[in-house]
Amino acid sequence: MVADPQPDNRAPTVVGIRDLLFAWPGQPPVLDIAELNIARGERVFLAGPSGSGKSTLLGLIGGVLTADSGSITVLNQELAALSVAQRDRYRADYVGFVFQLFNLLPFLSVVDNVLLPCRFSARRHERAAARSGTVDDEARRLLSHLDVTADLMARKVTELSIGQQQRVAAARALIGAPELLIADEPTSALDHDLRERFIHLLLDECAAAESAVLFVSHDMSLGSLFDRQLALTEINRAGHHNG
Amino acid sequence: MGSLSIIGSLAHKSLRNRASTALLTVLSIAISIALLIGVERIRTEARSSFASTISGTDLIVGARGGDINLLLYSVFRIGNATNNISWESYQDITSRPVVEWAIPISLGDSHRGFRVMGTNQDYFRFYKYSRTRTLEFIAGEPFDGVFDAVLGADVAAELDYAIGDKIVIAHGAGSTSFVEHDDKPFIVTGILKKTGTPVDRTVHVTLEGIEAIHIDWQSGMRLPGQSVSAQQALQMELQPEAITAFLLGLKSRVAAFGLLRDINEYKEEPLLAIIPGVTLQQLWELIRVVEITLLAVSICVVIAGLIGMLSAILTSLNERRREMAILRAIGARPWHVLLLLVTESALLAAAGALAGMALIIGLTAVAAPMLEQRFGIFVEVQWPGAFEWLIALVVVAAAIVVSLWPAWRAYRNALADGLTIRV
Repeated sequence: MVADPQPDNRAPTVVGIRDLLFAWPGQPPVLDIAELNIARGERVFLAGPSGSGKSTLLGLIGGVLTADSGSITVLNQELAALSVAQRDRYRADYVGFVFQLFNLLPFLSVVDNVLLPCRFSARRHERAAARSGTVDDEARRLLSHLDVTADLMARKVTELSIGQQQRVAAARALIGAPELLIADEPTSALDHDLRERFIHLLLDECAAAESAVLFVSHDMSLGSLFDRQLALTEINRAGHHNG
Repeated sequence: MGSLSIIGSLAHKSLRNRASTALLTVLSIAISIALLIGVERIRTEARSSFASTISGTDLIVGARGGDINLLLYSVFRIGNATNNISWESYQDITSRPVVEWAIPISLGDSHRGFRVMGTNQDYFRFYKYSRTRTLEFIAGEPFDGVFDAVLGADVAAELDYAIGDKIVIAHGAGSTSFVEHDDKPFIVTGILKKTGTPVDRTVHVTLEGIEAIHIDWQSGMRLPGQSVSAQQALQMELQPEAITAFLLGLKSRVAAFGLLRDINEYKEEPLLAIIPGVTLQQLWELIRVVEITLLAVSICVVIAGLIGMLSAILTSLNERRREMAILRAIGARPWHVLLLLVTESALLAAAGALAGMALIIGLTAVAAPMLEQRFGIFVEVQWPGAFEWLIALVVVAAAIVVSLWPAWRAYRNALADGLTIRV
């Protein structure tokens, strides 16, 4: 088994980026960010049109991509200092993801989908069990807080509406209270009325779990719901032509 | 390793979610494995039943010709002898001290497509097949009179004969001979139990009977103007002048080689002696091509089954790219993705192998009576043996190897896609 990375769980900064430079092989830099910090529990809205390097940035923070130069720390742990396996492990332990669409595995039940992070991360398993007694109860608690009724929980995930699927995805990202929740355009497939409701539910649960939120969207109108709004085009000094 | 059991459970649930595709894949693997095992079982059974066509006979003696030809006409009733053996030679050889018993055989006639064989009562005492089994009667008893006949099980069954029925023997071995010994009918006195050997398809009569029906014949034709009735024939000297071949049982097996050499160098007449086991082996070597072809075909079917599985996995790969990205985001490592696909294939192949074995057990249960009846092949309904488990294991291993290709592609995709799905 891979050695457990030891980030500082009490670090005031959840994400710290310094002089980040990233380019896809053979292409000009996509990202060139001097500084970006996200404090513990902070809710940050990151705006940017598609193709501005949002997904690349999330891949870097998620530890799937590695920076060409500069530093990315998560909970004071330098990601570049971790092995590939350790970065996968760290992602399982400390980061929850919600994507735009297709967040759920079609062959698992609603509850099993939510429980998935607990299977890959002992830390999140422990934390979820500590919160509600069993991981199963914690999954159901989170789901009902996110307006997924017992009736919906019993359905196949493919029978859920997109809005319902996104709420299940949010419960999965939040189970075991990871320090960071990354949401990549989670509302762009939702109707306008549902968007704000979804974000409120998400932010409430993040607050309860004390998770910091990095919410990425091209929809500027949602920015006011967050503690801080950033535009990627402003903090990124590189040209914008690649996703 | 906890992650292994997670992958196992994910693979299992993922397959259940695609139940119809998975079932078809399992079915195609099951059929191919059932075919392979079935062919293998029939091959083994055919071989052993072939080898046990004749047992306990140390030498077969006939006119000089080919070894295999002698075996074919004397034991399998296929083809014809090139020449006869004189009764004197038969007497001379069988009177030697090493000889324990001898069964004379006289061939050349037929009854409605079944070969007629003239012999004596020693045939029922000494003829053995399947190592130690002697001929048994399901009805009646050995022939006694000149015009008595004992039928093989198939003859009686196919022609619906019973004890006491009269049968007419035709000259020559064809099934539609126009020349019949209709003036001297035979009476069925006994019916033999099924043996699974050519004995079943033989009509047995006495040597004297064969002699009697040919009394008024010469060179395959009825002598014009001469007719000897059955009653008259009985009064005549019916000692045969020649026979087709004879089987020998010796007091010691070791003596077989010495006697074999003596017979093959016999001065009075060109004779040929063979050791049945050796010639059976030579004959089987000839049939091996068929055997190997069958095996090759069934192996190809297994390969086709695996290719079917491969294509099913490859087709699903693109639509499952999202699944892989989700797993990656949750913290699954790229090799988890690889393992998931390999595990799914292994599960499919294992389920296919088990279903295939169940299928073959079911099929044998249904087909065994038919195989025994029609072909004399005894196939037992049996649990898979070590060899069959080995086949199953090899197929699962092959499935794992085959699945490494799509799994490797998924692994590469998982690394390249990261958390976003570029579909």
